[in-house]
Amino acid sequence: MDALTLNRRQALSLVAAAATLPISFRAQAQSTTSQSPASLLRAAITGYTVINTFDPAKVTQLPESYVVWAVFNALVKFNEKMEIVPDLAESYSFIDPTTLEFKLRKGVKFHDGSDLTSDDVKFSLERVLDEKTASPNRAKLSSIKTIETPDAHTVRIITQAPFAPLLTYLANTRTGTQIVPRKAVEALGSKFDLNPVGTGAYVLKEWKTGSGVKLEAFPDYFDGAPKIQTVTMPLIGEESSGLTALQGGQIDLTSTAPFASIPNLVKDPKIKVYKQTGLNVRYIGLNGRKAPFDDPHFRRALAMAFDRQAMVRSVVFGEGSPATGLLPPAIAKPGQPVPPSLTFNPAAAKAELAKSKYPADTEIKLLIWGPTWWRKIGEFFVIQVNQVLGTKIQIEAGESNAVFGRLRSGDYQAAVWGWLGFIDADEYLGDLLGKDGSRNFHGYNNPAFEALLEKGRSEVDPAVRRDVYREAELMMLEDMPLIPCFNSNVHNLSVPGLKGFTQLPYSNYGDQFAKLQLG
Amino acid sequence: MAFALLRHVVTRSAGVMMLALMGAAVVFFAMRAAPGDPALTALGEGASTETIAAFRARWNLDEPLIVQFGLWVANALRGDFGQSLSIASGTDVYALFANRLPNTLFIGVYAIILAVLISLVAGTAAALNRGGIIDTVATSIAAAGISMPDFWIGYVLIYAFALGLGWFPAYGFISPLESPTGALLSGFLPSLAIAAPMAASFTRILRSALIDNAHRDHVRVALSLGHGKTFIFLHHILRNALIPFVTVIGLQVRYLLGGTVVIERIFGINGVGSLMIDAAFGRDYPIVQACALTFLLIVLLVNIVVDLICTMLNPRMR
Repeated sequence: MDALTLNRRQALSLVAAAATLPISFRAQAQSTTSQSPASLLRAAITGYTVINTFDPAKVTQLPESYVVWAVFNALVKFNEKMEIVPDLAESYSFIDPTTLEFKLRKGVKFHDGSDLTSDDVKFSLERVLDEKTASPNRAKLSSIKTIETPDAHTVRIITQAPFAPLLTYLANTRTGTQIVPRKAVEALGSKFDLNPVGTGAYVLKEWKTGSGVKLEAFPDYFDGAPKIQTVTMPLIGEESSGLTALQGGQIDLTSTAPFASIPNLVKDPKIKVYKQTGLNVRYIGLNGRKAPFDDPHFRRALAMAFDRQAMVRSVVFGEGSPATGLLPPAIAKPGQPVPPSLTFNPAAAKAELAKSKYPADTEIKLLIWGPTWWRKIGEFFVIQVNQVLGTKIQIEAGESNAVFGRLRSGDYQAAVWGWLGFIDADEYLGDLLGKDGSRNFHGYNNPAFEALLEKGRSEVDPAVRRDVYREAELMMLEDMPLIPCFNSNVHNLSVPGLKGFTQLPYSNYGDQFAKLQLG
Repeated sequence: MAFALLRHVVTRSAGVMMLALMGAAVVFFAMRAAPGDPALTALGEGASTETIAAFRARWNLDEPLIVQFGLWVANALRGDFGQSLSIASGTDVYALFANRLPNTLFIGVYAIILAVLISLVAGTAAALNRGGIIDTVATSIAAAGISMPDFWIGYVLIYAFALGLGWFPAYGFISPLESPTGALLSGFLPSLAIAAPMAASFTRILRSALIDNAHRDHVRVALSLGHGKTFIFLHHILRNALIPFVTVIGLQVRYLLGGTVVIERIFGINGVGSLMIDAAFGRDYPIVQACALTFLLIVLLVNIVVDLICTMLNPRMR
């Protein structure tokens, strides 16, 4: 018993020690947080946790692209006005409608010290086209007939027919056309997945599964060595945790932000908010092969029976723009009026429903999935449409992987869905609604629409192309094979001292690291 | 006596093995019954039918389910839990666990220790001051603690102690293998978040068990024999009250594991719980299987340990 009892002095010293514990913790916490010298950038990947590969040809997940954009370059890239400008290419031109010629920059080095040549370009693109690579972007390049390399710094890409979107697909985005070195890829085989070798401003130094990525500056980068030596990219699954990490001083930059927090954060002087309407579209996908959505009247009725502005307010806290078509504002023809079919109009919606061969109470299940705001899109839609039209739409909740599987197999009536990161108008209109579109889960097949898609693909003048796509868009909105809802904002958050970050509407990230400064 | 104990251990181990196998089978077939496809995560939505077929063939996903399960059991018995399909393609599940299990175990044990310490103090204090201010405060806090979900407590703790006072990092966890003190510091808030609801229920159990035992006949007898109060408390009251207390701790371990799943996400702990979420969403079957089996074994092991402790506390239970 005596061994267990403390005398007063011992007890007091114990209490004193306990009291100092939080203080020593505090000192430790501060020593880790205040230590963010300008040579280290902590650019978190928020909202995602999965990285399978850093091989551009095989990339499917957004966080993979974030890293690929820093480690690799493509022939061309987008500038801050979303115009295509040379990157690894010095210049490019259409020699004739089916021949696109690139002159490569001289003196560009890969991370392994080898020189970039036209052969690497040919190899990189043919690799995406090769069935064995199993690139998800193979179809994007399928218009390519041959690739010629007249000399070490000239590449000619010859397409079967004039194909305007090709230039977009060759940019440093999510189309897998970043340039890889033939020698290293052939030597590494499948090890290239996690040991990427590029020309980019940063070299991948470390990848801890599920935890994060570490990049080091590439001193021989052709555009000048980056200012920040080391970039760590922790994977933070919860967006809200990304925000607390930023507020707590554990990171400097996030790749996304929770919608609900934005209205408050823009007023917070301790956080810099970057935002704009993103290149994405959120919609209600309809299955045109199943009742009642095989009837265009029914589809149009639903499209006019809900208030998109209110949806944006309640679903994403105002962080988005009501859809004015299928194309997001960044690539749509500017200054167009909102078509009546996308305007909330209960009377017109009811009139449209009256023309349908199906009664209002036809059984409909809308698939919803995902966390919070994705789910709320469906809930908002169902509540308002049912109220306005007297329909009996019901919600069926699943999760994204399962719902996507049902979309693909056509086993659904209606589903909340959306895409982000598509940059070319043909990806929206063609992929989603073209008769051979890889994401046409709607059974849409309209010959007149196909003709416009064809016209858009062969038109190289951007202004004319834009007009063609507007016409196609208006045609599809007449048929309403899917119901566009809104384009959500893209966000980045950073500490106030970060300078040089340019946010592009497709949620770019790693391509900016070389220009950043922390002061 | 020793033989009886040995027989006890052997039967229990056989039971654990059977339960583990059954549990693994349930998880296996439930996961396969859920719609979705790991190929979609691994290969992207643009993958061609042939590519998907090749993927399925490579990972034996085209075999009949019972064959797949047989393969899994056969490999698992050899200690081979396969490779990740879709969230860390090609990485050995074993390697993923080697990195992450220590983190989860550390947080779990840390949380239990915190919960036990808090409840021992609060429960005893409340019982000794029955009806007094300390009792009212402790029981009110306990009632509140039970009603609050751990992820909410997690955010409250972050706002108060990380963002407000700056005592702890708001995000991130340093593995105990890298730095034990770093782990104690960065693991404190997440462990406390998991510990709080547990501590609340432990406190209530301990308090009522202490009060209950204090009025037993043998305590009165001991008092009449003139034993000291401290002696009586330690030997006749606390000792008996510890049996329900320890049993409840054992029962709470499964909630503890559920708690780590959420808390690991919020605090960015690279553990098995967050791995399991990612794996489940990505339909990464081998990882889900391994996680489920791990959790199952932990629960079963803890139950055995609890039984042993209770037997030690009360020889009559042998």
